[in-house]
Amino acid sequence: MDFRLTEEQLMFKEQVLKFARREIVPRVQEHDLQGKFDRESWKRLGEFGILGLHFPEELGGSGADVMTSVLAAEALGEAGVDGGLTLSYGAHTYLCADTIFSHGTDEQRRKYIPRLAAGDWIGCMGLTEPGAGSDVASLRTRAQRDGSHWILNGTKMFITNGAIADVAVIYAKTDPSAGHSGISAFVVEKGTPGFSVSRSLNKMGVRTSPTSELVFEDCIIPAENLIGAEGSGFLMAMQTVEWDRSALLAPFVGAVSFLIQRCSRYAQEREQFGRPIAYFQAVRHKMADMKIFLEAARSLVYRIAWCKDQGRPLNHLEAAVAKLFVGDWSLGPTNDAMVLHGGYGYCHEYDVERIFRDGRLAPIGGGTSDVQKVLISRLM
Amino acid sequence: MNFDWTAEDKEIKTRLIGVFDQPCLRELEAIEDADLSELKNITSRFLKRLARIGYLGIGAGPIAGSDTLGLMAGQEELARISGSLFLAVEVTARIFAGLLRCFGGSGHAGNILQAVERGDLIGAVAVTEPAEQEHDGGLGAVAWLDGSDYVVNGKKDFVTNGPIADCLAILVHVEEQIAICVVEPGLPGLVIGPRMKTLGYNGVAVSAIELNEARVPRSQVLGPINDRSPLEFLRLTEDLVLTMASVGLIQRTIAEARKYSGLHQRSGKPIFAHQEIRFKLAEMLTLSQTSQLLAFRAGWMCSVSDSEAATLVRCAKVFAAEASEKIASMAMQIMAGQGYLSGNMIERGYRDAKYAAVAGTTSERARMAIADDLLKRYV
Repeated sequence: MDFRLTEEQLMFKEQVLKFARREIVPRVQEHDLQGKFDRESWKRLGEFGILGLHFPEELGGSGADVMTSVLAAEALGEAGVDGGLTLSYGAHTYLCADTIFSHGTDEQRRKYIPRLAAGDWIGCMGLTEPGAGSDVASLRTRAQRDGSHWILNGTKMFITNGAIADVAVIYAKTDPSAGHSGISAFVVEKGTPGFSVSRSLNKMGVRTSPTSELVFEDCIIPAENLIGAEGSGFLMAMQTVEWDRSALLAPFVGAVSFLIQRCSRYAQEREQFGRPIAYFQAVRHKMADMKIFLEAARSLVYRIAWCKDQGRPLNHLEAAVAKLFVGDWSLGPTNDAMVLHGGYGYCHEYDVERIFRDGRLAPIGGGTSDVQKVLISRLM
Repeated sequence: MNFDWTAEDKEIKTRLIGVFDQPCLRELEAIEDADLSELKNITSRFLKRLARIGYLGIGAGPIAGSDTLGLMAGQEELARISGSLFLAVEVTARIFAGLLRCFGGSGHAGNILQAVERGDLIGAVAVTEPAEQEHDGGLGAVAWLDGSDYVVNGKKDFVTNGPIADCLAILVHVEEQIAICVVEPGLPGLVIGPRMKTLGYNGVAVSAIELNEARVPRSQVLGPINDRSPLEFLRLTEDLVLTMASVGLIQRTIAEARKYSGLHQRSGKPIFAHQEIRFKLAEMLTLSQTSQLLAFRAGWMCSVSDSEAATLVRCAKVFAAEASEKIASMAMQIMAGQGYLSGNMIERGYRDAKYAAVAGTTSERARMAIADDLLKRYV
């Protein structure tokens, strides 16, 4: 075993930290309070190259490895970038663009990846439905072949970036009798007749990331918008799990690093009973617990990234363990950071409050903690 | 980065597992109820067997940092097989011998080290003192030079292997410096106390010791050393050992609980089919994998002398110790009345689990030290 990160990886993480603190973080609080997507930050993420890090240079990316991508995502959280923006980035780059890149035709890649990598277009992914979440086989959205077209009908729920997306990867049943093998994936562009956003959802956290319900009513898309082979959509959706359990978890891990730094400074400034609160054991114990979580979570998330870099097939057990741990165990540190800040921590103007709200998504999004327990117990 | 064991590390694991064939495992069953004489025999026999595969010579901590991960690969297996034997062996090979290797290495200490590597000797380290003797950073046990001998006075508590040790390393103060007296049990003035009764790890012998005007030849004293490095070495090494004790205990406990959940039936099906049991096991496995990875990362940090190594070791120890307690409790819940019966593996594990949180750097002191480090880093 060797847990060493390369000099290049460490340097890049440092660059992302500096960039994010300078270019993104100053606008975070304002946009979170307004529940508004930050287009300016998005543009800068694109210019810096974050949105397409792992894509090849000829498609507008940087050719980075998975570990570097994970470190960049962690750095965003560590800098204090809100969970909404990092969620939008994750859904855009990994759930949407990477699916097109990994399974699409050369034509699809050339058409979409450069625009998505630059941030000129925003991507989303539609899998979940009002009646189908982790139980993917129960999807109801239907895609029917009609000559040179597909006709989509159905509704997608909790779609990150749904309202602002220029391009969506949508999963639909092409053969309702075939279970998982009857699911296919399609690219649907904004403005396609029959494709609409029915409502945007108001959320507790990750508020700068628009979450919407998407509706497809006799939505006609060209046959060439099918991604990969017909019936292979379920496997594609499962492959995004690798990213979901690494690059999408990394900002939550980074956020705890941010909290540690914030709490350390606050605890040394804030005085009670004639001395800084850092003097008190209860405060120090909370900080130690944050650090223990941080290092434990890092180990799990890095393992998923490293395995992906080695080209290994996803170990579903390890992926579920990482998701369950980051999801459930991160609630303690985010809660502790808020309590450590007392009344201030409960106020919107302190970022610890925002991180508490954002972090609450971790055991819910991308498969709840209970679903992870089902998976783990099935595989153990 | 590489999350796989190297071929050498895997070889250590394989060789270690190979020691514990069925007859050996049966022999080992007696360790938890053994009296001192029997315990000494069992421990000695297994030290010999482990010596034959080279396990006792692998270093830990700052003295042979590059071996840390290879050592942990073996420790994980030994701790999984028997927690009590693991502690007795590690106290001898890593804590006692490590101290001698770090601060002695030649002469009398060198001869003892060779005996340890051959499996000829059970070692013990006496550092903790009774509460009334404790003071900040100091040792109550003192020694002064009188001719060619040091004269030693003091009391030590919780000496693991104390009643069965062939050789003891006793930390004392010589004026303001630390010295290590390497002595044998028959030394006049050295009194080994009776075996202490403990909650768990009943296959380990622990006692207090007392030194009354004990004369130790100068050639058997390492130091005096003018910094606190012996204490730091002991803390780090012991914490790593205890972390791996927890990691091994966790694996043993989960395996037992999983096996039981597949056999025991409720409502016409194995209890594993019930979500409340499956979810407990899923949580246990999550804690297990996290404990393992965090421990290995801490070990790796020691091996490369990372500036955060000590903090990571504390994080790993606190996490693994608390995870093992939680897992032991959940396992007993899964096994219900069967788990509560004395003598079964889960009941024993439940009692053993507490040890890592109170031994070495306690979880409370570890948390304080972790926070101290953070407060210094982020001002």
